[in-house]
Amino acid sequence: MKAQLRELNKDMSALAPLSPFALWDECSAQPAIMASRVLVQCVRSFTQPSARVIFENITARAAAVPVANQRHFSFNACSQRKALTSHTKVSSPLAQLCRQYGDLPPLTLDTIRERVLYVLKLYDKINPEKLTGASHFIKDLGLDSLDQVEIIMAMEDEFGFEIPDAEAEKLMTPQEIVQFIADKKDVYE
Amino acid sequence: MAASRLPPAALSLKQFLQRQKVLCLYRTLLRTIRLVPNEADRQYLTSWARDEFKRNSGAKEEDTIRMMVSQGNLHLQELQRTLQLAKS
Repeated sequence: MKAQLRELNKDMSALAPLSPFALWDECSAQPAIMASRVLVQCVRSFTQPSARVIFENITARAAAVPVANQRHFSFNACSQRKALTSHTKVSSPLAQLCRQYGDLPPLTLDTIRERVLYVLKLYDKINPEKLTGASHFIKDLGLDSLDQVEIIMAMEDEFGFEIPDAEAEKLMTPQEIVQFIADKKDVYE
Repeated sequence: MAASRLPPAALSLKQFLQRQKVLCLYRTLLRTIRLVPNEADRQYLTSWARDEFKRNSGAKEEDTIRMMVSQGNLHLQELQRTLQLAKS
């Protein structure tokens, strides 16, 4: 393959100094046809990306050379380039089919629990060592009802939806909060 | 008549309702403070509210609590009016 490339390079460099008008002859167009055939072979056999870069340079130079049967040649070069690019971007038609929407990552029970415990650890009145999933705010952690209100407000801020008063005052452990949020957000596992 | 099954530390109905009023006021106050546009003002107001409620959390008499709740309501209404003016 590399030998073919070197040959091709020689051909191209041989063509370059010739004036454009000279190449309009049938006989001098022969090397161009040969070159296009070699190009076709090269495209089919090349798979490495480094070789592809060299190849694209060659196609750029080859396309710049005006030839008698330029339509054939450029068509070949275009089809090769198209074949090359379609080989690289296989997923593009699929990518066009699926539409993309902006949204938050989906909630799972584990992520909810992590976020709830993270917010609780940030609260300065809670001792992080004593904090477990089942630790009661008032009985175990020694907080009072005002702190519980603050904690529920922090959960509202974290998860972005309002928790009504009647339900908020019943949430007394982190596990209950996780359960409530999972119920509200339809998170099943 | 059967003896009352409630534990001795349970609140009477009036006390229970008052407690609910206090907590509701605190929650509404915190929600209103959340709407304040300036970050520094927000933090100042939350710390002010927290200190006020904590300082008076020891009050036991019904009348004192009622007075403080109505004062808190006045503060809340003033804050809401200021926010509405600021928004318009």
